[in-house]
Amino acid sequence: MRFEWSDAQQDFKRRVLDFLRDNLPADWDATAQHGPGSDKQTQFSRTFCKKLAQAGLLTPNWPRAWGGEDLDPWCQRILAEEMWSVGEPRGAQYMNVNWIGPALIKYGTDAQRQRYVPPMSSGDAIWCQGFSEPDAGSDLASLRTRATADGDIYRIQGQKIWTSYASAADMCFLLVRTAADSKHGISILLVPMNTPGIEVRRIPSLVGEGDIHEVFFDNVEVPRTVLLGAEGQAWEIISTALANERIGIPRYAFARRCLDRAVARLRSRQRFADRAVRLQAATAAAFCEAARLHSYSCIDMRARGLSMNAEASAARVATVMAERKVAEFVVEFLPEALSGGDGLLEAHHQRAIVAGIASGAAEVQLNIVATDLLHLPREPR
Amino acid sequence: MDFTLSSDQSAVLTAIDTLAKPFTAIPTNLSTFDLYSEELDRALDAGGFFDIAADADLGPLTAALVVDRLATLPFCSEVAVSMVVRATLCADLPRPVCLVAADQLQHPIRFLSKAASVLVMDGDAVRAIAIDPASVASVHSLFAYPMGKFVDGRAPGQEIRRPDIAADKLRHWWQVALAVEIAGLLKGAIDSTVTYVTDRHQFGRAIGSFQAVRHRMAEASVRATGVRWMALEAAATGNAAQAALAALHAQESANAVIYDLHQFLGAMGITLAHPLHLWTYRLKALLSEMGGRAAQGHVAAKFLGR
Repeated sequence: MRFEWSDAQQDFKRRVLDFLRDNLPADWDATAQHGPGSDKQTQFSRTFCKKLAQAGLLTPNWPRAWGGEDLDPWCQRILAEEMWSVGEPRGAQYMNVNWIGPALIKYGTDAQRQRYVPPMSSGDAIWCQGFSEPDAGSDLASLRTRATADGDIYRIQGQKIWTSYASAADMCFLLVRTAADSKHGISILLVPMNTPGIEVRRIPSLVGEGDIHEVFFDNVEVPRTVLLGAEGQAWEIISTALANERIGIPRYAFARRCLDRAVARLRSRQRFADRAVRLQAATAAAFCEAARLHSYSCIDMRARGLSMNAEASAARVATVMAERKVAEFVVEFLPEALSGGDGLLEAHHQRAIVAGIASGAAEVQLNIVATDLLHLPREPR
Repeated sequence: MDFTLSSDQSAVLTAIDTLAKPFTAIPTNLSTFDLYSEELDRALDAGGFFDIAADADLGPLTAALVVDRLATLPFCSEVAVSMVVRATLCADLPRPVCLVAADQLQHPIRFLSKAASVLVMDGDAVRAIAIDPASVASVHSLFAYPMGKFVDGRAPGQEIRRPDIAADKLRHWWQVALAVEIAGLLKGAIDSTVTYVTDRHQFGRAIGSFQAVRHRMAEASVRATGVRWMALEAAATGNAAQAALAALHAQESANAVIYDLHQFLGAMGITLAHPLHLWTYRLKALLSEMGGRAAQGHVAAKFLGR
C-alpha cells in the first residue's frame, strides 16, 4: 500500500501542469466561470483539445492503436484532477476521454471505430449523451424514446431532457428503446446531431450557460449501422460506462481549490481567526480529502482490473458531501463572493448543486451502497 | 499510488485475525459498559505487534492497519497509542501507555487504571510519568474503556521531561492513532448494526430494507470508509495536514453517526445486552480527545488557503 505518486506519475503531472501553464490564457478564470457548456468555453475547448491531443495529453489512457499512450488509470485521474480544478478547459470533451471513447473502442465495429474514435483522440469531436427523458430520470430503464427498424434504417421518435452540451455536440450517444423488455430492450445509437428531425432547446438553469437541454427526435432516420453493439445490449455497455462516469469528474479537486481560494480571501481580510469559521473550513477540506481517497480507491480497483460499481457509488456520495460542505462554507462566511465578488466561487456554487443529481441521483447511489457494500436487504418492489 | 496490501501487510493482518479470533465473540449476558481484555493485550505483546511501527519493513502504516482491525473487536486493550505513538516516538516507555493533554491530568483518563506510563503533552513540551499504581483509582464511567483517575487529582511519582520527543511529532501520531481507532470503531459499530437491521423484522420485513434506514446506513458507511482512507494515508505519509484533517473527519463522522446507529436498534439500542455500545461509547470517549472537533478544526485550518 502506497499513498505517493510514483516518479512516472509525478513526471506526467508535471507535463500536464506545464501544458496548462503554457496554454491557458491570463484571463482563463473569466472564461471558466461560465461553465464547460458555455459558448465561450466550448469555443475555447475546440482549439485547446487539439493542442492537448498534439501534446499527447488528450487521451493518454487510451490504447496506442487509438491515439493514446496506454498510460494507466492513475494518469487519467491526474489529468482529470488538473483539468477540472482549473475549470475544465476541455469543455464537453472530457466525456469522450472518460467513457464514450472507451465504450466505442470496446463495443464498436471496425467501421464505427475508424469513423468516430480518431476525431475524439484528435480533439475534433463533441459528443453528448442522450439518456434522461421527462419520465425516465433516475429510473432510466423506463425510457420511451423509440427506434423502429425499417429496412436499412432506424426511425427515432421521442424526447430527451437534461442533456448536457447538446447545443454544441456533433454526435449523440443515444439510448433508445428497440424492444419492450425494460433493461434488455434498450439499445445505443450513435447519432449525428445535424440529422434532420432533431431539435435542441436550451433549458435556463442554475448551473451555468448551455449546460442542459431538451432534445426532440421527430421521425429521425439513421442507418442501422449506427447501432453500437447488439440490439438490447445498452444496459450492459452503460453499466461499466456509468461506473466510470460516477467518478469521472473529480469534483472534489475544484471544490478544494475553491475552498482554499475562499480561505485565502478571508485570511487576507483578517476574517479567518474565528474558531467557528476555521472549523467549518477544515471540515469542508476534510470532506474533500475523503472524497479524493474514495475516488482513488476506485481508480486503484480499475487499475487492477476489478469491477468497482458500488465503490464508485460510495465515491459519488462522498463527493456530494464535499461539494455541499464547500458551497455551504462560502455561502455562510463569504457571501459577497456570490454576488459578483468572485467568478470562480460563483461557478463552483452553480456546479455544486449538480453533484448529487447528474450521473444518477445520490439516492440511487445510496441504494447501491446499501445493497452491494453493506449487503442490507433490498427494498421490496 | 497503490491501495493493495503488501505481502508483509497481508501476513501481519492474517496473523492478527488469527490472534483476535477468541476476542470476536460477544460474551453472553453482557452487562457492562466496557469489555477490557488483559489476555488480548498479552497475546499482542507476545506476538511483538506493539513494535511493528518501528520495523522498517512494516512501519506506521502497517501499525495503523492493525489498530483499525483490532478496534472492530468487542474486546479492547490499549493498542492505538502503543502501536502508533509509542512505537514510533518512544519505544522505551513502559506500556500500557496513556496519552493526555496537561490540562486534562486531573480528569478521568482512558486506560489509566491499566497503564504503566502516561505521556503528557504540555504545549510544546512533552513529559512522561511512570505510574505508581497506588496513585491511581479506577473510575466508573459511561465510556466503554477502562478509565482511571489520579488520586488527589494530580499525578505523583516519577515525572520526567522528554525533550527527545518533538511535540509536533507527538501531535501528528496522536492524530493518526485517534483517526485510525475511530475508523475501526465505526466499522465495528456499523457491522453490528447491519446484522441487527437485517435480522430484525417489523411491518413484515427487515428493518434494513426500509429506505429511511438504508440511506442513513449507507451514509455512515461512506463516512467510515473515508475516515479509514484518510487515517491510513496520514500514517503512510507523515504529512501534518493530512493527519489533522483525518482526526477532524474522524471525530466529525463519529459524532454524526452514533445516535443514528442506536436509533436503528430501537429499544435494543438502549440495552446493555446488545453490544453496540461497546463501539459507540468508545467513540464517544474519543470525541473529546485532543480538544475535540473545534480544536482539530483550528489546527487543521492553518494548512488551508496556502
